[in-house]
Amino acid sequence: MEHRTPGQDSGRLHAGAGGGAAPRDMAVDAAPVDTGATAPSTPPSRPSSPGSGRSDRVATPPGDLPAAGRGTTPPEPAAEHPAQSAREEAEPVPGTPTDRLRYLEAATRRIAGGIDRDETLRELCRAAIPAFADAMLVHLRDPLPTGDRPPDGPLALRLHSIAQGPEDSVTGAPPGTADFVELTVTGPFAELLLAGRPVFGDAAEIAPAVGELLEPVASTPTTRSPGRWLIIAPLHGRHQLLGTVALLRGTDRPAFTGDDLLVASQLATHTAFGIDRAMLSGREASLADALQLTMLPSSLPAPTGVRLASRYLPAAETSQVGGDWYDAIPLPGNRVALVVGDVMGHSMTSAAIMGQLRTTVQTLAGLDLPPEEVLHHLDEQAQRLGSEHMATCLYAVYDPISQRLLVADAGHLPPVLLHPDGVGEVLRIPPGAPIGVGGVPFESVEMPAPTGATLLLYTDGLVESRTRDVWSGVELLRARLQAAASVVASPPLETLCDAVLTILGRGARDDDVALLAARFDGFPPRNVAYWFLNPEPQTAARARQLTRRALHRWGLDPLLDTTELLVSEVVTNAVRYASRPIALRLLRTDVLRCEVGDDSPQVPRMRRAQAGDEGGRGLFLVDRLAQRWGATRLSTGKVVWFEQPIPEECRAADP
Amino acid sequence: MSEGFPETGYGSEESGTEGIRPDREGQAEAFDAIGDRYDEAFPYKKGQLAAAEWLIGALPAGSRVLDLGCGTGLPTARQLVEAGLEVVGVDLSRGMVELARQYVPRATFHRLDIADLGADGPHDLGRFDAVAAFFSLLMLPRGEIPGVLRMIHDLLVPGGLFALSMVEADVDYFTIPFLGNTIRVSGYLRDDLRQAIEEADFEVVEESSYTYAPEISDVPPEEQLFLNCARHG
Repeated sequence: MEHRTPGQDSGRLHAGAGGGAAPRDMAVDAAPVDTGATAPSTPPSRPSSPGSGRSDRVATPPGDLPAAGRGTTPPEPAAEHPAQSAREEAEPVPGTPTDRLRYLEAATRRIAGGIDRDETLRELCRAAIPAFADAMLVHLRDPLPTGDRPPDGPLALRLHSIAQGPEDSVTGAPPGTADFVELTVTGPFAELLLAGRPVFGDAAEIAPAVGELLEPVASTPTTRSPGRWLIIAPLHGRHQLLGTVALLRGTDRPAFTGDDLLVASQLATHTAFGIDRAMLSGREASLADALQLTMLPSSLPAPTGVRLASRYLPAAETSQVGGDWYDAIPLPGNRVALVVGDVMGHSMTSAAIMGQLRTTVQTLAGLDLPPEEVLHHLDEQAQRLGSEHMATCLYAVYDPISQRLLVADAGHLPPVLLHPDGVGEVLRIPPGAPIGVGGVPFESVEMPAPTGATLLLYTDGLVESRTRDVWSGVELLRARLQAAASVVASPPLETLCDAVLTILGRGARDDDVALLAARFDGFPPRNVAYWFLNPEPQTAARARQLTRRALHRWGLDPLLDTTELLVSEVVTNAVRYASRPIALRLLRTDVLRCEVGDDSPQVPRMRRAQAGDEGGRGLFLVDRLAQRWGATRLSTGKVVWFEQPIPEECRAADP
Repeated sequence: MSEGFPETGYGSEESGTEGIRPDREGQAEAFDAIGDRYDEAFPYKKGQLAAAEWLIGALPAGSRVLDLGCGTGLPTARQLVEAGLEVVGVDLSRGMVELARQYVPRATFHRLDIADLGADGPHDLGRFDAVAAFFSLLMLPRGEIPGVLRMIHDLLVPGGLFALSMVEADVDYFTIPFLGNTIRVSGYLRDDLRQAIEEADFEVVEESSYTYAPEISDVPPEEQLFLNCARHG
């Protein structure tokens, strides 16, 4: 049989889903005569669960479909679907095959519309009671199978819900029942369930188990001898048995018929596939969550002159995985780039795009481009990634030496600056167009970054919610920061982050939240030395002399010999390629850092010098003698840097 | 207050006789555009205040002081005027001179090129008891600096004082970004500068240096050299 299963996107029925064959055949065969009954009650199509509309194939002509969201349904030849008038979907299942089909069409559509497990079961309940049965018990397998392989251990069922009216809660077992409703199924009943075949209550295979199964509704008269007033249908998903549904009729109604068994089978099959799908999208969402988390910094750098703290909170609904990110990237001259961004939308794709944009920003930051240029190139790259992905991004560079902040914004919310005196300020940054719009220039603004101030970058999930618009959220954030600073002057960063997160309240978050806080520690100019030097044959000697003077001033005489040697090597290399003055920069922090910048983009690499070579040994020396070193290509050339630890005996002399 | 001095003009203004220096005009235009932002970017001039204080302490009241490259007149011209000295300020930037006249009304300011101030030249401002040149000679090509040092020597009375500050660098008329504009700067390393000063027949009385970080991100921190000098003889 190659019939497409109603309610499913692409799957064929599992071979074991026996009992489904006949109703499927019946449904497909009957399609021409039973159509259009339920368009008014059609649940809105959800793009996230493609195929939920495929049950249209059974009974609904295209002409009756709401126009939106049905694009995936192939048009059917009109002759197969003569239009009929809509009927009430909840009417009791009448006896004629046409009526039964009409009922089934409505019921399966309902069930397929459920977006998660509980909602799918709730829809099953609404479809079944009272039209088809008077009570319903759902048992789910424990543990619920998640992959393609059956779970280890015996087949155990746990009562999930009982319903005796259409509006009953079907999300939980009644209080006190949970303990005795876990039952282990073995023998013929287990085989029957695993085969996926629904049976009447009087089937021999289930006799030993039926009492136990119906225990929670033991007071109902039917349950003592349910006979054909009970149908037990396995909830069999694509690959696995997921549970059972027991459908009971009161004794005042006719017993179930053979056709009813087929109806029950259809209901159970659709329900099981709905649960399957919900679990699948749940897995996808947790995969996306994991993807998102691996793309965020595993730890923040600890550059001198600034302290950093961050938070990331995923959205409460795992299906709402977001594209928020933050980053902190050390730049030459002890500056640091602070980044926050938000890829619009919530999906695995958002998380993946975020990862690509974050990497792009890191690369651009590494070139030491000014903020507006970083955003410009990021915008271009985003357009290459695809036109449908928009993001907001704020890029700031903190310079602890000049104590300035340079900021450019691509449609992101403005940062909040908590001044050293405890006043919170929402910074005024020209809001550029979001990343991905294209062709819109960005603008950097420069402002003082006083020592002791704290800059807070965040995403809209922090300030915006169902009950609060974004700007009152920003104002609340500013007030919360200010309040935190009024309790303790200059509160610790971690404390401040925690205080800020309290504005989220207790309810479920609709959106993910990223937060990056930077406390400006500044960097006294006396610990910096900076010169421009013409590239000439004697430049290395001059650089050595300047280095000697600076190290002497800093009481670092024990480092003189090594540092002079290394500076000489690096400067000699720079002079060879530079056409403009080179920059020699010495920075004394907890290490001694030397940076040599020149205008040649060629980044030196270590190579093994041949016996006769005069040069080529410089970087080997640097590599051997420095604690760390590196070479960074910049938009204006390159910087080669190395660091040496400051000996213990010199630390006391820290100026 | 004499404002009747013929000023050196470039561009649209009537030209001086020394000929056109197109590079220099760009320097002046940059400072015209920078205006008050210069003082915002370089706010706390510890070394400069100390050097002017040295002049004040060494000069009798009423002494004539030339402030070469006076900028906005802040802080030096005002500091000297308030100490009772007679101050003449000179700057190539029209905008700077206008600001200086506004900020320090008791001093006299001229828009002139440093290189045109030679004694007995067209813009001879007379003799001075002291000359201050804070971060102004660095705006000249290095080839012109020895001649200007000589000229300063000749503008001073015998034994006159010269307070000079420069940024330590080994560059000659090197284009750098500066407060949203570009300017060209020259510099010496400390020993070379000292040698150039001594060759112009000055004695270096005092020397100091500071690392200074401007409050602007596009100007890197700089090594500032201050040399307090006296004219020999």
